[in-house]
Formats: sequence, C-alpha cells, structure tokens
Amino acid sequence: MSIFIRNYKPGPLATLYKANIWRLNSTTAESSVKKDEDEEEFRVLDILKKRDKQQKRIVRRTDIQPDRADRMTENQNWGNVWPGPKTFHPSSVPLPLRQGYVPAGQAPPAKKANAELMKIPNFLHLTPPVIKSQCESLKQFCTEWPTLLNSEEAIEKHYPVEVITSDYCHASPSIRNPLARVVTLRIKLSTLDLDKHARDKFIRLVGDRYDSSTDLVTITADRCPMRAQNLDYVNYLLTACYHEAWNVEEWEKDKTEDDMEYYNWDNNASKKSVVNWYLAKRNEQRDLTEDEYRSYDISVIPNAEGYKSAVSSLMNDGESEETVNNYGKAVRKLLGLPEKMVV
Amino acid sequence: MLSRNWRHLCRRYSQAVTFRTNENSPAQQNDKQVGLFYTVNPDLCKQLFSHGGFPKSFMKQTKTFTETAIMVRQPALDLINCIRASDMDQPAIRYVLYGEKGTGKSLTLAHLLHYAHEDGFLIVHVPWVSEWLRRITRHKEMSNSQTREGLVDLPLDAAAWLIHFKSQNQKLLKSGNLKTNKEYVWSKREKTEVGSPLSDLVELGINRVKYACDVIDALVDEIKILSNNKQCKTFVAIDGFNSFFYPLTRLNTPTKRKVEPDEVTLTSSFMKITKNDWKNGVIVVTADELSVPEEHHESYLPRYLLYKKGFEHLDPFVPIQINRYSDKEFMTCVSYYRDRLWLRGPTEIEMELKFTSASNPYKFMEQCAPL
Repeated sequence: MSIFIRNYKPGPLATLYKANIWRLNSTTAESSVKKDEDEEEFRVLDILKKRDKQQKRIVRRTDIQPDRADRMTENQNWGNVWPGPKTFHPSSVPLPLRQGYVPAGQAPPAKKANAELMKIPNFLHLTPPVIKSQCESLKQFCTEWPTLLNSEEAIEKHYPVEVITSDYCHASPSIRNPLARVVTLRIKLSTLDLDKHARDKFIRLVGDRYDSSTDLVTITADRCPMRAQNLDYVNYLLTACYHEAWNVEEWEKDKTEDDMEYYNWDNNASKKSVVNWYLAKRNEQRDLTEDEYRSYDISVIPNAEGYKSAVSSLMNDGESEETVNNYGKAVRKLLGLPEKMVV
Repeated sequence: MLSRNWRHLCRRYSQAVTFRTNENSPAQQNDKQVGLFYTVNPDLCKQLFSHGGFPKSFMKQTKTFTETAIMVRQPALDLINCIRASDMDQPAIRYVLYGEKGTGKSLTLAHLLHYAHEDGFLIVHVPWVSEWLRRITRHKEMSNSQTREGLVDLPLDAAAWLIHFKSQNQKLLKSGNLKTNKEYVWSKREKTEVGSPLSDLVELGINRVKYACDVIDALVDEIKILSNNKQCKTFVAIDGFNSFFYPLTRLNTPTKRKVEPDEVTLTSSFMKITKNDWKNGVIVVTADELSVPEEHHESYLPRYLLYKKGFEHLDPFVPIQINRYSDKEFMTCVSYYRDRLWLRGPTEIEMELKFTSASNPYKFMEQCAPL
C-alpha cells in the first residue's frame, strides 16, 4: 500500500477509475463528488516530507559577459592593462598559460583558478615597450653623459672607486627601509699605488674581501644607522688599510718561508739540496751558510734553470699531472738521465 | 676427462706465445716484452719475498695460479734504463713511484727488486712502512730507546726486518766481503769489532732483539760507507714511504701520547739512507695513498702524499707514474687470466670488464674473481 501511495500520481485514467469505484460505493449525490474532484487532487499524507525535498532545482540562465581576456584587442596598450607589479589574474592576461602538477595523460592545469600561477612572481609589468616608454619619460630628468668617458677602461681609470647602495620605494606608512643604509665599496687592487710588500700586506689585511680572480676588493659596511655614516666608514676603512699596508713593523722581519705568499725557489730547501747535490757531485766539501746558499749562482749548474722553473710552477700553480710531468722532465735533465721511455 | 685436459693443454700451448715471455731475467727485458708476463723462479721468490714484498691479494693470486707471474711494464723498464744510464759515482738518485690505487706500484717495485737481485745489488727493502707505523697488532712491542733520548724503538719489527734483509741478501752476506768499519759497543760484554762481517751484525740484531733498532741504524751507516768505498752497490726500495711523513702514527706511548713518525728510531735510520749524500746506490720509494688514512686520499700525486717535508727530503727526485693498463696490457692480462681459468665466459665480457674496471689492474683482478 505504501508503494502505491508513493508512486501514486494523479492522472485522468486513475481519477476516472476511482470515480467509478466511488460511484459504485457511494451513497451520496453524484454532483457534489464531481465538483470536488475537479478542485483538488487526492492528498497523500507525506510524513517524511519527501516531496518538498525532491523538488527540482530551477536552472536560472543569467546573462554572463564573455571573459575580459577574450575581449582584448591585439593592439591595445599593455602598459595600461598591467601597469604595476601584481599577482597573476587570469582574466587580465590574454595568454593560454598553463602551470602545475600534470596528471598522467592530461595537460597541465589552465590559467583559471590556478594557484600555481598566482604563487610565482611575474614580470608582466616590465615588458620591453613599457620599459622603453618609462625610460623615455625619465630622460627629461637626466643630464648628458660625459663624452670623454666613452669606454669601460676610461671609466675605470677616472673613477676607480665604485660605491654601491640601494634605494627602496614602497607604498607603506614609512618611506624608510633599513636596507638602504648598506654601502658597498669596490675597487680594483691594481689601481692602488702599492709596492710588493704593501700589496701583500694589504691583501692579508682585507682577508677574504679580496677576490684574486677579478682583482677586486669589496668592502661592505652596515653597522651605522645612516647611509652617509656608512659611506664615511667604508672610505675610512680603505684609507686605513692603504696606509697600514705601507707601514713596515718591527715584527715583520720575523717572516719565515712558511708565511710566504708565493714559493721563492731561491729561499727554499729545494735550492739548498740542488746546491748540495752539485757540490757532492764535484767532490767539493764545503759548508755554506744560509746567505751563501741563497746567493749561489745556479747558472754554473747545467740545466738548473729549467729545474728551478719546474719546481716553482709545481709549488705556485699547484700540483697536477702536468706540473709533476714537467718536474720529472726537468729532474731527468738535471741529473743527466735519459728521457722517459715511450712504448 | 682426458679430452678435456687435452683441450686445455692445446689452448695453453696456442696462447703461450701471445701473453708470456720466456725472458725471465729483468735485465734482459726490453720494450718488445712490454705487456707480457714473465715467471719468477719459485726459489728466488721465496728468498726475496717470503717476508713481504707482494701485496696480500697478489700473494693469494700466486697461490691460486701456482706461479708468480709479473707483467713487464713500461715504468719498470724505464727505471731500469735510468739506473743503467746513471753514473754510479755520483750521489744516489731517488726515484718516486706514484699512481692511483691498485695500478701496480708495489708490483713494479717487486719487479725492480728482481732486477736488483740479478744485477748483484745489496738490497735494502722495506715491504710496507705502514706495517711499522700504522698497523697495531696484539704483539706490537714498543720501548723507549736506550741510546737516543726521546725516541721509541720497535724491536720486534726491527728484528723481523733484519730477518728479511738477511734472507734477501743471503749470497752477499755469505761471501763475507762486507766488513764493518767501526766498532759498536752494545753492552759491557757485547760488542762488534772493526772488520767483523756484516752478517754478524745482522745476526746480533736478530738474536738480541733489544738492540735490533740500533743495529739497523748501524747497518745503514755501514752500508753507506761500504757503498761509498765501492765494496758493494746498494738498492734501496721502500714501499709506502710517505707514511714516514704523515703527521701522526697510530702508535701510543705508555702515557697515551701519540707518537710522531720522527720519534721512531726506524724512521731516522731510513731517512738517513734515503738522503743523497752517498754514492753507488739507487733509491726507489713509492708514494701510496693506501699508506695514509682514508681522509687524506684526495690526490695520488707525490707532493700531496709526501707533504712539504717529504718533498724537501727527496728533492730532486725522479717521479715515475704507474698508469692503468693500456689496451695491449689489458688484452694480455685477459688472456693470462683465461689461461689460468680466472676469467671464463664469452669474449663480450672482456669489453664490459674493461669499462667497469676502468682498466685498473687491481679492480680488474677483483672483478674477474667471481667469473
């Protein structure tokens, strides 16, 4: 019975059929029955309120505008569309961009509702035409470049000191940025007037601020609160190091061979052993002092010059297969041995 | 069974020409024999190498192969050539063998020892310096030196080395031509007279282990004097020489202080003999990565391994590099291993092994083992 009730739908056939049943069973007047039948259908007791829930949702078709990206013309001014740095917005960018995790057999997610595209910084505000136009408008504030400074060499020669600072501009209640105080001073060491000793001392004083591959000394100061103070400070540091490098202290005379910045063959044990070897070879018994060893003229020893350069390059350029091979060749020449056999 | 043996025999006979040389005397070998194997006489092998001289893995291999076959390689021939060309009246020339791990420095040294033995050199051979300074066995004995203040003796190691020295130089010591030039007083009752044979000195060191280190020191002095007087010519071979210059040894004094190599009496003796202030001698040492701890295996080049001190000690020396196998050497080694049934299987695996072992002799041998 309940199934019947649930599936019951008022229809013309059913009403007719029911009407007939009622007509057979009824004892009341037929006219009143007919009247009721037209006005309202048979009411079913719907305890669980199933009928209300199952009501179909009405699809409302609203008038949606096409995407802004689709409506853009090709010759629009992109600088107006995207004037400044901004998080990615799919409707403003008329590009078929895709980014993100690629499920197997599918394309990467498209640009709409794509968090991946929003996460990464974009440079859509820095397109070449925009930069060009901005530079054009800035030109009116610039002065002309000096004609004599026409090459990098000329600039380096006349302005050897390079001071690097950063300015920050932001839209926040404070216009100050603490990073603006940092001052970096860069100078080529070769532009300073230093002799051999002073140069070595200067390099030792500045420590790892000197890069031997580029010959640049970089001094950075950020300890003072203001930029001007930091600038004064780096200038002071450079001046102090320069003058200190020229000073020769008493204790610098104690410098030993181990403290040397490069390998000088004449001062080293290698020369001593060669001289000793040469004396022994000629059966001379002589005890030389340190200075005599140092000033011993090696040109009397045949092939010693080549040996000297081979040892120096082995020590100064670092040990590699090539330097060791050269050393071997030089030693063979010095000792009068045959060349290396080639098989 | 018979047919299989027959086949082996045939194969051996057919290959014998390609990878072996009958020239078993290193003095006669020339560049025609490069890459070929020659066999060392077992009796001689026992005499020269029974107390060390071959790497352990090679010893095992000789037992497996039932013969001691050494490949004639270019560095050894080069060195022999140099020794022949050098003037023995001039100060002794130092040669340093260097090369990557497992390329055959020790075996080249063994080859040279064979040459030195044949040529009548007095052999001063240290099989492996790290055995003294870096290997701590249970029987390791250390004592403070009686004669030299602040130094330590390794009496057992020194005595073992004296036995090695005695067995290597049996012939020369027996002949009795080598006599001491100085008198050595060991104790109230024991002394070595002037003009007593060198073998007596060695025997004393072996019997009175307490004096072994001092005997070695005396022996080194005597050998230098004898060589200078041209009573003998001396061949010094030290394997793993760079161990002497590594800042620390593994030895500890009874007070738990780490011992430096300089504080060992043996070091000072062998430093003396590797100087070039004497004549009529040849000094061959190896600089080996394996003789120092693993954290210093960054380079195999001699200056790095010898440190500044060792470099200055040996300078000027002739560096001789031991390379990996060349193509030809690799192929003869392959056919030798096939002959010894150390390597079996199709010919394609040879190329593969060449790549996987990178032609490194030791690695090649290792990789062939399970094949």
